[in-house]
Order: sequence, then C-alpha cells, then structure tokens
Amino acid sequence: MTPYADIRFETIGRVIVARLEGEIDMSNAGEVGAAITGRVTSDAVAVVLDLGAVEYLDSAAIHVVFELRERLSRRGQELRLVVPSGSPIATTLHYADVPRAVGAAETVTAAIADVEY
Amino acid sequence: MQDPQSLATTPGQGQAFVGIGDQPTLDGSAGQLEHVYRLADPALSELALEPLLDELLTRAKDILHVDTAAILLLDDEGQELVARAAKGLEEEVERGVRIPVGSGFAGRIAAGRRPIYIADVDHADVLNPILRMKGVRSLLGVPLLVEGAILGVLHVGTVTPREFTNSDAALLQLAAAQAAPAIDRARLFDALDREHRSAVALQRSLLPDLLPNLVGIDAAARYLPARDEVGGDWYDVIDLPGGLVGLAIGDVAGHGLRAAALMGQLRTGLRAYALEGHPPGETLKRLDRMLQTISGRGMATAAYAVVDPVTGTLHYANAGHPPPVLVRGGEEAILLDVSSAPPLGALPFASYHEVEATLEPGDTVLLYTDGLVERRREPLTDGLERLRALTAVRATADQLCQHVTEELVPAGGGEDDIAVVALRIMPVEAVVRVRFAADPQVLSQMRRMLGRWLQAHGAQPSEVADITLACGEACANAIEHAYGPGAAYFELEADHQEGLVTVRVRDTGRWRTPRGGHRGRGLKMIAAAVDELDLHTTEAGTELVMRHRLGPG
Repeated sequence: MTPYADIRFETIGRVIVARLEGEIDMSNAGEVGAAITGRVTSDAVAVVLDLGAVEYLDSAAIHVVFELRERLSRRGQELRLVVPSGSPIATTLHYADVPRAVGAAETVTAAIADVEY
Repeated sequence: MQDPQSLATTPGQGQAFVGIGDQPTLDGSAGQLEHVYRLADPALSELALEPLLDELLTRAKDILHVDTAAILLLDDEGQELVARAAKGLEEEVERGVRIPVGSGFAGRIAAGRRPIYIADVDHADVLNPILRMKGVRSLLGVPLLVEGAILGVLHVGTVTPREFTNSDAALLQLAAAQAAPAIDRARLFDALDREHRSAVALQRSLLPDLLPNLVGIDAAARYLPARDEVGGDWYDVIDLPGGLVGLAIGDVAGHGLRAAALMGQLRTGLRAYALEGHPPGETLKRLDRMLQTISGRGMATAAYAVVDPVTGTLHYANAGHPPPVLVRGGEEAILLDVSSAPPLGALPFASYHEVEATLEPGDTVLLYTDGLVERRREPLTDGLERLRALTAVRATADQLCQHVTEELVPAGGGEDDIAVVALRIMPVEAVVRVRFAADPQVLSQMRRMLGRWLQAHGAQPSEVADITLACGEACANAIEHAYGPGAAYFELEADHQEGLVTVRVRDTGRWRTPRGGHRGRGLKMIAAAVDELDLHTTEAGTELVMRHRLGPG
C-alpha cells in the first residue's frame, strides 16, 4: 500500500467497519479495494466504509466503491458509507452523485444501526 | 659468475640444475612463427584475467608439447609463491601450494629473476610435492616480470625426461610477457576494487540512494568520507505524509564499522518515527530512548527539521548538534538555533525542545556535521563564522552543498567524515508548466504542486480542492491515454490572470470516448468542479482546458 492511504479494520457484531484515511486515487484505489474485499468474511452482513478521514479521492476510488458494493450485494451483503457533512471529500462525492446513489450516514453508529440483520 | 643478463643459471646446488646457457632465442622457422603468433595474440589481452591465464597455459602446454603448465604468484608480503593457475597440475592450485622465495625450483626463479631448466626432478631440490606426485621429470620455468619487478613464475614440465632448448625458453618467456602485465593490472584493480566496493557498499546501505523528488522543494546532500577511517555521519530527506518534508542529519561519536553500523540503526529509527508523523522534538526523544536500549550503545548528535513547503513553516529540534544555517537571498546567513541540548544516548529522560521558523520562497536551510566546521586548536565559533560567511546567495541547494564542501574540506578528505544536506523552498512561479511521466504515481505529487501554486495565488481551500480534483481527473485521463505504444508523458500548464485560473492538461494520445461509468464519471466530476471545461482533440493529442474564477461568486 502506498504511504498516502491507510485502513483500520474493526468488527462490530457482524458488521465489518473499515476506516479509511489519507489520499485515494488511481494509483492506490485498486489496492484499497482489494484490502477491504480480503477482510470480508462470509458471515458478515455488512461492510461500513468510513470515509470521514479521507482527504482526497478521485473517480477511480469511487469506481472501487461501486465495484465493492456490487460484489457484496451478489453475496447478500450490504455496503454502507459514512460521510460526515463537512468532511474533506463530501463535495467530491456530491459531484459524483454518490450519496444519492449509495446513501451515506453521518456516523459509524448510525450506519450500523441502519444495517438489516 | 654469470652475466646477470643471461637468462640461464646454475645455482650450483646439485648437478640436476642445468643452465640453458645463451640468451634464449627463436630460430625463426615457419612453425615457430606460428607459435609466436599464438602466444603474443593481441586478442588475449582483451580477456579477463582468469580466462587469459587459462588460455595462455593451454596454448603454452600445446606449443611446447609438455604435460604440465602452472603459474605461481608472489603473495602480498613478497615472501612466498602461491599456485594460481595450472594445467595438468590442478591440485597445485586446489591445495594452494606455497613455495618460499629463494627455495626450490620456482622459488629460485623468483629470487634470481631468470629462467631455470631442470633436466631431472628426482635429483633436484624441488619442494613442490605435487610435481613429485605427478611424476614430473623435467621442468622449465621463467619469471613473470613487470618493469623489473617480480610477480611470479610460469613453469612447464614433462613426465618423460626432456631437454628444453633455448627456443623453448624464449617461447615460454613470450607467454610470461603476455601474462605479467595482465596479472599486474588485475591485481591493482582487485585491490582498488575491494576497498572501493566495501566503502561504497557501506555508504550505499547507510545513506539514501536518491533524494526524493519533492514538489516546491530543491534538496541536495553531500557525504565526504574521512581521509582514513569509516565514520558515522548520516543525512536523510524524508517525504512525509501530508506533503511535509523531513530533513535529518546526525553524527555518531567514534569511528569504524561500529560507528557506521550504529549510524545505520539511528537513521532507520529516525525515519520510522518521522514517518509516523511525530514532530521533531518527539522524534528525537524516541530516537534517544531507542538508543538507550541498544546494548553497548554509543552517543550521537542529531538534528531533525520538518518543513511545510506550502507555508514555509519549519519546526526544528536538536540533540547536541551544530546549529543549522538559514540562507536568505541578499542577506547574511543566520544560525537558526544555538541553544544546546544533550546528544542522543547521553542522559536519561532527555527532552528536546522545538524551534519554529518561517522559510520564505528562495530560502535555504543547511544542516551539516561538525567535520565541516571543526578545526583543531580553534574554537567552534570560528568555524561557524566561516561557514556563515561562505553561505552567501547560491542559486540551488546543490550549488550551496558544492560550495561549502569545496571551500571548507581539504582535498583528499578531512580528519572527520562530513555530511551536508540543504533544502531550498522554491519560489512560486506565475505560470507553471510541468511534464509528468504518464504514471499514476505522479498524481499525488501533481496535487501538491498545484495546491501550493493555487494557494500562493490566493485560492481558498475549497477552490484549491475543486481545481485539484478537476485537474486530478484530467491527469488520470492523460495517463490512461498513454496506455499503448508511444506517449509516455503528459504536460500540465497553469496560469492565473486577474482572478481567472486556467489549467491545461495535454497528452499525445488519441482521445477515446469514455466507455462505461468510470471515466465518464471523471469528466462529469470535472464539469461539476470547475466553471468551464473544454476538450480539444487534434492529430497530435488531446488537451483538456479547465477555467475557474477565484473569489466570491
């Protein structure tokens, strides 16, 4: 992984929380996607992607989010995004119409509460 | 007493030593001429030493119709001959046969620097057990000489008694004349190479290979080894997260491999703590605690600075290290921080306070080790004053490093090793034009460069974010266009006219209408982020032009 991005994983119940930070672009989006996919166990019901600490992301990163969502949905798993208002990449996601298409929660707690067990 | 020019000798010890008598000569027959050509073949001199010796022995053995051929070389002390290459006597080399100079067959050739012929080995004082074991009966040997100096001995032998002639000796001398300069050259290279290789290997492993290529920063460094000893100086330039740059220097007390090894540990430790994002004071504190845990530890001075290339802010901490120099165009250089703190590893619970300074565009900060300024029987302040006076305006970091080392370090190296590292904040240009390799790895560098430029031109953070995002997508496009033969670069040009920022991203690839959501989404994002987006495609390539007005509205 490039030093520009980092991921911390946490499992809460049957939800896997991935907190991303740093900059995600064409150079590392694929690695970030693969790292998350590799952590998803079959008994998980959902993945929560916390983007609050991400400083930059581009269309390649957004593409990876959509791909991840599709892959999870084929296995009956959900993807939830956490994008606090005012976070650095909120505007970028808005330009790409992500919140409307995927939905986004303000906090990790809210995202987990939203998951259907 | 024989004429010293005579190439034969009878040592007078046992009748088996037979002098060849006259000067060995060639008879000039057609067959012999061919032998001469084979032994003096210029193509041989192009071979490396091992294949050359191998080929020469093979040819000599073949031409002289002998059963064995061997080369023994004088050891470093000049006391013994050591078997180096052999044909028909390979065991001689394998067993590392050693013959004292002056004794035995080969030893006498070396001592007398003249050819010797032994008609019957059994009756001579041949020391080499392998010659006896092999049943060698007759021997002919010649010295290997370069400019009158003895390098070793070349000898041939037969298992049936043989009378060697003058012309045999002459041919063998020809082979020796071919081998000797090559051996001499190879030995010299070997010695130089060994020394050089170990010094280089050590330095390579302990000092940075290449300084990182950083946006808005011009960095350079020098490391000058001490005249006689391996030292423990180091420097580092670290590409930190968030666009910051770390600048480190240090000096382990003492000399030798131990100091160099500790230096390697400290450099790695400092880099690791720095990359975790610790500020300079904390970084040095952790490094000090790390050093305290190393058994048989030493002491070291070190300094570490973190520079923000965008704002010019410099945070600096020092552990017993000489003060950095701030070089500002048109002004006298100043010493940044003259406060003292203990070296790393010197005291328990040491802490290192931080100093803040602001670097203006064009300013250079110079870190160095004491070898640069310290002279025997002279107060350190004199050396610091000399350095300060020298560091007048220099155009680049590299020129500054070159200048101070040239002026302050005696030719051939100082008594102490010296490290110097300089970092200059580049002035922000009115117009930027940068060529990037079409590689996704350049994107973060591009964003930093553009962000710094936009900020300097008065863009607000949200405007910086929007224009950088648009430009990032345009560059990603250019990088994707480059996939295929040809175009391996793209160009970015940004200018600012009365509140209007124009960024052009040009590549030499053919425009491909985005398919699927991915690239199409990128273009949509550009259009959303900036006021205007134009796409020009020509035979030569594709240009995306983005315009954005700064300020309210």
